[in-house]
Amino acid sequence: MASSPAVAPAPPPGGGLARLRAEVLDPGLCVACGACLGICPHLIFHDGRVAAPDACGLDSGRCLDLCPQAIAPGPEARRQELAQASDAPWWPELGPVRQAVWARATAADLVGQVQYGGVVSTLAALALELGLVGEMVLTQAGLDGAPEGARVTDRAGVLAAGGSIYAAGAGLMQVNQALASDESHPLGLVGLPCQAWGARALRAHPNYPAARRLQLVIGLFCTLNLDLRRLRAVLDQAGVDQPILRADFPPPPAGVLELTLPGGLRQIPLDDIRPTVLAGCALCPDLSAEAADLSVGAAEGQAGWNTVLVRSAVGEKLWAEALARGLVEIQPLPEETRGHLLGAAQAKRQRGLMAGKERRHV
Amino acid sequence: MSDLTRLTPGVAVLLQGNQALARGALEAGVALAAAYPGNPSSEILESLADSASSAGFHAEWSANEKVALESAAAVSFAGVRGLASMKQNGVNVCLDFIHNLAISGCRGGLVLVTCDDPSGVSSTNEEDARFVARLADLPLIEPATPAQCLALMKYAFELSEAIGQLVVLRSLSRLSHTRAAVTPGALPAGRPRPHWDPADPAQRWATLPVVPRHRVMKQKLQQAGQLMAQAGLNQYQGPERPELVIVASGSSVLYAREAIGLVDAAARVGLLSLAGTWPLPAEILAQRLANAGAVLFAEEIDPFIETEVKAWAAQQGGALAGLSFHGKADGSLPEVGELTPGLVAAALADSLGSPWRSVEAGYLERARATVETLAPVREVGFCPGCPHRASFWAIKQALAVDGRQGIVSGDIGCYTMGHRPTGFQRVNSVHCMGSGLGVASGLGQLKPQGFDQPVVAVVGDSTFYHAGLPALVNARWNQSDYLLIILDNSATAMTGFQPHPGTGLTASGQAGQAVELEKVCQALGLAVEVADPYDLEATQAAIYNAVRQGGLKVLILRRVCALVQGRRGGHPFKMRIDPAKCRGESCGCNRFCSRVFRCPGLYYDEKAGRAAIDEVVCVGCGVCRQICPAGAILAEGEGEAAA
Repeated sequence: MASSPAVAPAPPPGGGLARLRAEVLDPGLCVACGACLGICPHLIFHDGRVAAPDACGLDSGRCLDLCPQAIAPGPEARRQELAQASDAPWWPELGPVRQAVWARATAADLVGQVQYGGVVSTLAALALELGLVGEMVLTQAGLDGAPEGARVTDRAGVLAAGGSIYAAGAGLMQVNQALASDESHPLGLVGLPCQAWGARALRAHPNYPAARRLQLVIGLFCTLNLDLRRLRAVLDQAGVDQPILRADFPPPPAGVLELTLPGGLRQIPLDDIRPTVLAGCALCPDLSAEAADLSVGAAEGQAGWNTVLVRSAVGEKLWAEALARGLVEIQPLPEETRGHLLGAAQAKRQRGLMAGKERRHV
Repeated sequence: MSDLTRLTPGVAVLLQGNQALARGALEAGVALAAAYPGNPSSEILESLADSASSAGFHAEWSANEKVALESAAAVSFAGVRGLASMKQNGVNVCLDFIHNLAISGCRGGLVLVTCDDPSGVSSTNEEDARFVARLADLPLIEPATPAQCLALMKYAFELSEAIGQLVVLRSLSRLSHTRAAVTPGALPAGRPRPHWDPADPAQRWATLPVVPRHRVMKQKLQQAGQLMAQAGLNQYQGPERPELVIVASGSSVLYAREAIGLVDAAARVGLLSLAGTWPLPAEILAQRLANAGAVLFAEEIDPFIETEVKAWAAQQGGALAGLSFHGKADGSLPEVGELTPGLVAAALADSLGSPWRSVEAGYLERARATVETLAPVREVGFCPGCPHRASFWAIKQALAVDGRQGIVSGDIGCYTMGHRPTGFQRVNSVHCMGSGLGVASGLGQLKPQGFDQPVVAVVGDSTFYHAGLPALVNARWNQSDYLLIILDNSATAMTGFQPHPGTGLTASGQAGQAVELEKVCQALGLAVEVADPYDLEATQAAIYNAVRQGGLKVLILRRVCALVQGRRGGHPFKMRIDPAKCRGESCGCNRFCSRVFRCPGLYYDEKAGRAAIDEVVCVGCGVCRQICPAGAILAEGEGEAAA
């Protein structure tokens, strides 16, 4: 869906911010996951965009190491490392998968209030309630409508952040800021595939011991993410009152972006939205947030339900507790849906890897 | 400054060149003195403003130099004496009026003082403003000492009145700011009552018909030459038949005198000291050069006298035909930068073929190397607590996030330094007063042709009134698209905190009528927003939102100059570094606070391995606490109202 990524200039020697700029920021390939933010004052985020106003003068830095859009190590190498580290069954299209089901929340205050089946909100709230994490980082719309990371500690906070607007919110910045605090409780994250990979890099970084506190990642299926400013321009042109409360891409054949606004629903044709897709998303080969502990997406053809992939032991424990408490109800993933999901994941993988190869060869 | 009317006539006092010029104007009975501040000229009007009440005349800081000269010319039209003083740039601002005034002529004594700035010590150029005398056929007077400043200022008024023409008096940084013994004369007992007789055809101050009046203008210059020759402004000292004559003006007269001594050439070299340099003093030049073998010209900035004398000599032929000329044209003296006695002495020695050097070979290189090992690197920068640092920080951050390679068109004032590291090199062009808005006005028309970079103009409050306003009117009229940021520090800070129309105070410190920035801009139909640059986040947001929205907008960043605030009781905070929070080199920011933010009050303590506050330098503005990623910069007194 996204346009081809811009040509990346030859990277400077060494790593660090200069290389991040050359490889990711200057060519416009940043997807605003937030992995580089909140750890260093040289990188700033505002209105959906990451910028580096000054040179830091260092030839290495976590900013580059954590960036899922950096050329090295690349998505293939990262995926191989994940495959070796995971003890879950490995699905070639979807990564580690212990369980794959359709599910929806049972709580009355969730049904119809949050996106799709409400499973993400249920799991995030449960993780907090269980003490599995002391804080969850989610993405919510800020006062001006721009998405931003939010640190919440209870169910009310989770519900307030329910829903997506499909624009970059740099949620990992809040993770980094939480990690810099004096607190010691475990952290959780709800994030996109790029953020799940960023979170995995955080946890594994040798110079980031505090990141071991990040214990739970609930991933979201993602086919694309939008450039907030370009989206805003399109919506302005379409006469859409902003801010947006929520945005959905209803399953095919809808062909629209459905916006929940203070004044009601509004649909924008996908053709109008495509030019606002972040260029960097074209590099992404991951539909289902393979690096997460659990991944959740919309259930194709089953309104009000989610598709859930349980991936890690941590994810499995949380999922089992949700089932045991009756917080979610499930049904088997239909074979046909499963086929569509695998196909879509495979298609995205191929597109992303091809774009990555082209980027390296320019 | 001080009230110069209190000086006792006949009793020598130590006066700065600019004070001597002011005293000369007082003794000449000036009725109106006007100026726009600018180094090295500012003390002239400051002294006159301090003396205005005692002497009973009007002194003002004008909105710009052109208005200053027009005001001075007006009182001349009414038969009394007027003075306008300025730095060299100001002459350019006045140029259109000067060329027309020179044709219309004037009545009461009218003097324009230009204080030129060789080496551009406090200027954006090192222009030689004497060109205006040549262009507009105006008499030009160049004193060399403070005593001459006083005497020649009085003479300039007399000459102006005698010929009915503006007279230009040129000073230099070295002369304006040097102090020497000056013996004041008497102040006038009174001055004529100003009156302009509308029925008198001789008091029709207009340029039409041009040709006959232009002819009169030429005649006035000729008359001035005769009067200046009679006044004995130009002096020769030396042997009757010298091997070489130094023709010098201004402070170079003193350098030349010293150079003759250094080279021990008093018996071989004469010195022709010119104080009346335009029209060329042909008579004394012919007399003194006819007996010389060579000429060395010593004058600041351009080879003004040198060029004119060589052209004149070429027409004379005869005894002058074999003269050899040395100066800036043949490389004997540098074309740029301020002269020194050593440079003049070296040029003299070379011209004479004498072995002489001020210092032994290689000395300068050794001295430079030694100084580099001993003196810390000191870059030109904003003062501690300067609101401009905060403003440029916000501009830098906002334009980086915007990501469209925004262009900042700068202007003249302390904030000109925005193009240096102290302003994060965030100014992309800077030229003259008000030109930042004009440049932005043009860039702001290019969007339909594919220019997709946001445009920001940055101008100080005083400069906005000086020359920015017409450009803003133009932008509004032609619907240009840019963000105008007015850095309102409530003073003409770079030139010494003089008041301006926005402050509402006059040159004498009395209450005038304030002209409010917001109301002026709103009257043009423009959206105006005001932010405090000390609040970095809010300022960044205001700039970002304005450039994203596009269209012609005005953002006033208002915070009083840190030095002015210092005089008003200082800033509210005592800053300190929390050693438990500052991560030092392990921060990963690579000394972000001291290396990037660059406030002199904040430095990296190598020994302690962390940031530190220089308590002597820090003024306690509190801005830096907003930039530390670890929150290690603490402002004690937080919560008290910021000044």
